[in-house]
Amino acid sequence: MARAAEFVRRFEVPTRLAHWALAVPFLLLLLTGLTNYLPRLKALAIGGFRLFAWAHVLLGFAMVVIAVLVVLSLLRSRSMRGDAEALAAFGDDDVRWLEHEAMALAGQRTATPRVGKFNAGQKINAAISALATIGLLGTGVILGINTFSKSVFTVGITGMTFSWHTLLALATIPVVLGHIYLAALNPATRESLRGITRGVVRHDWAMRHHPDWATHASEHELPPEHR
Amino acid sequence: MAPGSLISRAKFLGLMAAGGVLGYGGVLVGQRSIEGWRENTVEVPTPKFDPTAYRLTIDGLCEQPFTLTYDDLRGLPAVTQVSDFHCVEGWTVPDVKWQGVRLQQIIDRAKPSKDARYITFHSMGGIYRDSLALQQAQLPDALLAYDMDDARLPEQRGAPLRVVMPRMFGYKGAKWLRRIEFRDDQDIGYWEDRGWRVDAWIKA
Repeated sequence: MARAAEFVRRFEVPTRLAHWALAVPFLLLLLTGLTNYLPRLKALAIGGFRLFAWAHVLLGFAMVVIAVLVVLSLLRSRSMRGDAEALAAFGDDDVRWLEHEAMALAGQRTATPRVGKFNAGQKINAAISALATIGLLGTGVILGINTFSKSVFTVGITGMTFSWHTLLALATIPVVLGHIYLAALNPATRESLRGITRGVVRHDWAMRHHPDWATHASEHELPPEHR
Repeated sequence: MAPGSLISRAKFLGLMAAGGVLGYGGVLVGQRSIEGWRENTVEVPTPKFDPTAYRLTIDGLCEQPFTLTYDDLRGLPAVTQVSDFHCVEGWTVPDVKWQGVRLQQIIDRAKPSKDARYITFHSMGGIYRDSLALQQAQLPDALLAYDMDDARLPEQRGAPLRVVMPRMFGYKGAKWLRRIEFRDDQDIGYWEDRGWRVDAWIKA
């Protein structure tokens, strides 16, 4: 049965779908938004419509719909709710994990802390991402409405909204880069990518990085064909 | 390293210095990104300004069409005007200090004919143009600017000359200006052709 214990199920379809349904448009929005700083790209137009500007606006409104659907699916999916609750639960173990990481960066080994399904870094990333997305969507909707009618908001309002939208967007860049590096590139942690794409991760990796989840998970959450 | 200390003094000071530099640089970059200019252009590459070859042509339905060199332009009686710049996309640059020539001065010298009710402003790239009604161009804050914030107008901002209409959205202010044309009908302009308002007044 050694082969059967090689993988453990980490994420079900609803969570994975929600992740990618949000992540892909987010990246596209970030990239199209950045053309604000690249005049040649910004000027690219088809029949008088600036390609990247309109892609950004349309993606933005699509993102609002997606965000609503994700929130609604939380109500229907128990597994997704579980993941959300796990991400939102911040406690003493998380503080100890952060201390452990800070010490490790300073070259000092300390006792391995308890780590559940998500470590403190992942929880902080989730919180920042959620807040940034809400802020960007809120300011984005105002700017989107302003695209179609100048009568709704004063230039005072849109000016401030534009500044906040820009600030939030730029602030997400290091977060996104860090997330992609750790999730997909960093050798120690890139097993995570398999979890959010295929839904399973290697059991030995899980025991090393999320021991207090992996022991529990390997007993109860093996894919049906491995039980 | 002192026993029980988390990191060495050297490492700590190094981290503080690095953090300070990054933080300061970040604020500088951030502030400029947030409150600064964005560049909108339909002509790529950006028109190049040659100070000796440049000519501003004033013609169309007027009795005394004329041409100005860059030196002529700077030699005219000048005014300074501080106003906010509002782009129709939603961003604003506050308190821009413009220096240049009142449009009224150009109009007076050209002596527009009786049927001349509109002006078209042509950009050097040959694609962009925008327009104003004659009365709009005669407003006291209608300006042809060659300096911005005490410096020559930068290339991306429309060097050497741009139209400034503070109470209208920025697209009405043609950049890289090369020709002012008096007309009896309104050639509305690049963005107006694509559905944007002709009288782009900003409702505060």
